[in-house]
Amino acid sequence: MTTFIIRRVVWTIPVVLLVILMTFVMMKQIGGNPFRHTERNVPPAIQANLERKFNLDKPWYVQYVYYVKDVFTFDLGPSMSQRTRTVNDIIKDGFPKSLKLGILAFLWAAVLGIPFGVLAALKPNSIFDYFAMFFSSIGFALPSFFVATLLIYYVALKAGVVPTNGWPLSFWSLDDRVILPSFALGLFPMAYFARLVRGSMLETMQMDYVRTAKAKGLPYKRVVGLHVLRNSLIPVVTATAPLLGVIITGTFIIEFIFSIPGIGRYFINSVSNRDFSVVMGITVLTSVIVIIANLFVDIMYGILDPRTREAR
Amino acid sequence: MAVDRREASIPVAAPPTATEPAAGAAVRQSSLWQDAWARYIRNKGAVVSAIIFLIIVLYCLVIPGFWKIPGAWTSIKDYDPNHVDFSQSYAGFSLDHPFSTDKFGRDLFARTAVGGQISIAIGFAATFMILIIGVVYGSVAGFIGGKLDNGMMRFLDALYGLPYLPFAIITTQILSPSGSVSFWSMVVALTIASWFTAARVVRGQIITLKENDYVRAAKAVGARWYRILARHLLPNTLGVLVIAIFLDLPGVVLGEAFLSFIGLGINPPTASWGSIAQDGREAYRLHPEVLFIPSLAIATLVLCANFIADGLRDALDPRTRETG
Repeated sequence: MTTFIIRRVVWTIPVVLLVILMTFVMMKQIGGNPFRHTERNVPPAIQANLERKFNLDKPWYVQYVYYVKDVFTFDLGPSMSQRTRTVNDIIKDGFPKSLKLGILAFLWAAVLGIPFGVLAALKPNSIFDYFAMFFSSIGFALPSFFVATLLIYYVALKAGVVPTNGWPLSFWSLDDRVILPSFALGLFPMAYFARLVRGSMLETMQMDYVRTAKAKGLPYKRVVGLHVLRNSLIPVVTATAPLLGVIITGTFIIEFIFSIPGIGRYFINSVSNRDFSVVMGITVLTSVIVIIANLFVDIMYGILDPRTREAR
Repeated sequence: MAVDRREASIPVAAPPTATEPAAGAAVRQSSLWQDAWARYIRNKGAVVSAIIFLIIVLYCLVIPGFWKIPGAWTSIKDYDPNHVDFSQSYAGFSLDHPFSTDKFGRDLFARTAVGGQISIAIGFAATFMILIIGVVYGSVAGFIGGKLDNGMMRFLDALYGLPYLPFAIITTQILSPSGSVSFWSMVVALTIASWFTAARVVRGQIITLKENDYVRAAKAVGARWYRILARHLLPNTLGVLVIAIFLDLPGVVLGEAFLSFIGLGINPPTASWGSIAQDGREAYRLHPEVLFIPSLAIATLVLCANFIADGLRDALDPRTRETG
């Protein structure tokens, strides 16, 4: 087990380097001069000095090494359009808000999605099952901006139950403003979890060890709770990492609609402002989060299901 | 779809339970598609979804041409999707404007159709690019195998699960330096962001097929590698690919809508479902229909594509049929 974990952790390093390289190479391809804030051209001498200051006069692979060094020392450089702030400042400002949004969305998904899937699997082809699967199909198909606007329109504007936008600024504070954004973001993972848990429960119930448990005369609750449920939740753990990418993408949209000052909003603004260091910093940050989540999920999977350790 | 319409010859009452893939190639092949068609037809949800899907596609293709026919509708000029008429701003639902109008008085019935053309075209173009890349990458990895396969799959693992939106946005920015995002840069961006799954699926399929006896037999009689690949392996991945079209399409259509909605995709005044939704966003408190109509169109299309994919999977690959 230890060698499995060590091998898996070491493998993460080239993956991170590769993703940074990809982001770096892609950003190099975008045209535009970051030092040009007005219509006037920057005088060549100043341009040259600025380039020297930011090491832009070096070959690209040297720049890449500098950037990797900076990333590993948690320094993502200065923002190019907001002179007084660094990318770190912007991430420190926006990331906790996005993180809270993401965690709450996952909570919705886990608290509603998993029970729905379990109940649907316990009574397959019942009315409840059809109902749950119908809603999960719809949750799959609705674009998140549509869900968000529907919620704002009917829950916030028509019913007036919660405010239409805004976000509690401190990480630990929660109020009624978080309900709609997190639910809108959580709908897709909720539908996904419900479907996944249902499928994997039905599959587990066909297993020999479940039949044995039933044949032994164990009470129904014990069979379901101990033998079926525990094993059918393994796919949920595995699905968390790829879902994280979906959630991060979703936060971009949800933050845009609900005017939440998270990193997604900063990202969109920075693309329009050609603020490349922020775009790059946020891309690298979100990618590294997904890579680390993948790492944890793989290790968890290795613990939960010993058969997978050797295969990887 | 390459489905033969010889379903009449198939007794529906006696469903074929399992198909054995390894048998005389030509005869069994057509029968596989026949079986699949028969199974698909019996899946009511999938058939209804396919019909609705076709209706949406037809609506998008036919309606924009419709207003050009003189006398085809009462007030012809209002059906020009880009015809601005401020007196008709947010005109509401009427016979003249079945889907109401937007801020500029542009008819949404025509605009949703034109936008649908763009969205669906981006969807299919990107899906086909995904499949082409997937087939090439997957069959190279799966067919050659060994270290190359290992390296190529490790590369895919590394990219797997990365949030696609930032990379798609960066790609559109690279391809459109002037700031206005073109059709093809959207296609490329969405392809780059989501080709991994197709490559993985094709590779898995090729690896399984490679071990079949008929491939060994072909090798034994001296068939060259390209013949084995083109004649024995790739045709058998066709089923997976047909399913993959409808599995990948929803993601791409949604991706286009997301990008356009946040203002980094198809630019107004060009209509796409995402950019109409973006138009609708500024006034959704008073006129939610401008946002709801394209969103409903996207949702319906995506829902249908998901059901079609499910139906195709059950039809083409009965072994993986889900219980219940």
